[in-house]
Amino acid sequence: MSKIKLLLVIGASLLITNELPAQGLLNRIKQKASQVADKVADKKIDEALGGSGSGNNSNKQGTGSTSSGSRKSNPSNTSGQGLVSTPPNVNENLSAAETAFKAGSYGDARYAVQQAMLGVELQIGQSILKSFPETIANLKKDTIEDQVTSTGWGWAGLTIHREYKTGDKQFTITVANNAIWMQALNMFFNNSGYAQQNNGEQKWKQIKVKGNRSVIEYDKSSGYKISIPLGQTSLAILEGVNFATEQDMINAANQLDLDAVKEKLGEK
Amino acid sequence: MKKLLIAIIVFVNCSPIQAQQEFTKQLTDARTAYTGGKLDDSRFAMQQMLLELDIITGKEVLKLLPVKMLDQSQNAAADNVSGTSGFMGVVIHRDYGVDAKMINLEIISNTPLLTSINALLSLPLLGNTGDMKVVKVSGYKALIQKSGSSDKPEFELQLPINSSLVTLRAPGYTRDQIIQMANTLPLSQIAKTLQ
Repeated sequence: MSKIKLLLVIGASLLITNELPAQGLLNRIKQKASQVADKVADKKIDEALGGSGSGNNSNKQGTGSTSSGSRKSNPSNTSGQGLVSTPPNVNENLSAAETAFKAGSYGDARYAVQQAMLGVELQIGQSILKSFPETIANLKKDTIEDQVTSTGWGWAGLTIHREYKTGDKQFTITVANNAIWMQALNMFFNNSGYAQQNNGEQKWKQIKVKGNRSVIEYDKSSGYKISIPLGQTSLAILEGVNFATEQDMINAANQLDLDAVKEKLGEK
Repeated sequence: MKKLLIAIIVFVNCSPIQAQQEFTKQLTDARTAYTGGKLDDSRFAMQQMLLELDIITGKEVLKLLPVKMLDQSQNAAADNVSGTSGFMGVVIHRDYGVDAKMINLEIISNTPLLTSINALLSLPLLGNTGDMKVVKVSGYKALIQKSGSSDKPEFELQLPINSSLVTLRAPGYTRDQIIQMANTLPLSQIAKTLQ
C-alpha cells in the first residue's frame, strides 16, 4: 500500500515539474505573438496616418498583453460641416399659424406659434449676449462657449450662457427665464431663519448686486456662486472659479449691466 | 332648468368665438411688436396665443368625449377647460354621475411633465408592481393604480398621449369597469386634436 502511495507522489511531482516549463514556454510564445501583432498593427496605423513615428514603434512595445481585437473599433467622425444654423423665421411662422388657425388645424397652429416663439427667444438671447462686456475681472470672453437655448414651451425656459476665462480662472454667467428655479431661490429670501452657517463656516449669505437682492455661496470645489433674481421669472447665476476673495467676486458681478438684461427679458 | 340649459349652450358656443377673436388680436400684437423690435412684447403675445389655442383645442376635445360613461350621464355644467398653457398644461375636465359613483375624466394637454408616467409604462417591472398595473386601451399603454382600502378599492387610470395625459378616476367601480370606460374614449381623435 505504501508503495502505491509512493508511486502516486512521484507521478504527481513529475507531472507538475513537466507542466511548469511547458506553461512558461506557452506564455512566452503567446507574448511574442502578441508583440508581433501589436507591432504590425502600429505600423499599419502609422502608415494610415502618413507614416510618421514609425521609428518609435519599438519603444511602444511594453508588456505586450493587448489583444489585437481591442483595436477594432467604429470609425470616428473627422469630417462634415455640421448643421446650418437656422433659427425659425418668426414672420413666416406667424403667417403659418394664422393659416392653420383659419383652417381649424389647431395643432399645426400651435406648432407654428411655438416655432415663432423659439425664433423670438433665440433673438432675445443673442441680444443679451451682445450686452455682456468684452472682459470681466480681466478675463476674456470665450464666445465659443456662448449658448442660447430655448425649449419653445413659453414659460418653461430660455437660457443664456457666457464664459470668461484666462488660465485657471473662470467667470460664468447663466441667465435663465425659468419660474421653477425662481421658486427655489425665493426660499432663501422668504425664510430669514434659514441657516446660513454649517459648523461655524459660512456657506451662503444675502448681498446686493447693483441694488438687486442676491445670494452668494461658496464651495471649496466649485468656488463662488451668486444668484440674482431678475424681476418675476428670470434669474442670473454667476459662478467664479479661483477668485481670491468674496469681494473680488462681487466686483466682477457689478460689472454686469443687469438693468439691460432685465429690459430685454421684459422684466420690471 | 331651461334657463340653465340655454346659458350652457350659449357659453359653449360663444366662448370659442371669443377665444378666436382673442387669438387674432394677439397675433396682430405679436406681429406689431416684432416689427417694432419689441421682442419681449412679441413673445408675451405669442404666449397668449398658445393659451387661446389650448383653450380652443380643449373645447374641441370636450365635443369628442362620450355623453355617457357606463351607467352614468355627463354633468354638462361641470365641463371645463382651465389652467395655464405652457409648462403645466391646460386641464380639460368632464365628470359623470353623482356622489359616490362620480366618474372624473381629466385631460392635461401639452405638458412636458409626463416623463415619470412614461418611465413607468416603458419599464414593465416597475409598472406592474403592487398596486400598479400596465394595461392597453385602444392600443395605447395605460397605467392603472389602486388606492383606498382593500375592501373598498378605488382605481385610477392614466394614459399619456404625446405630451398630454388622460386621467380617469372611478371610485366605486372595478378595474375591469374602468378599462371598459377608457375603451369608450375616442383616443385616436383626441390625440389628433391635441397634437
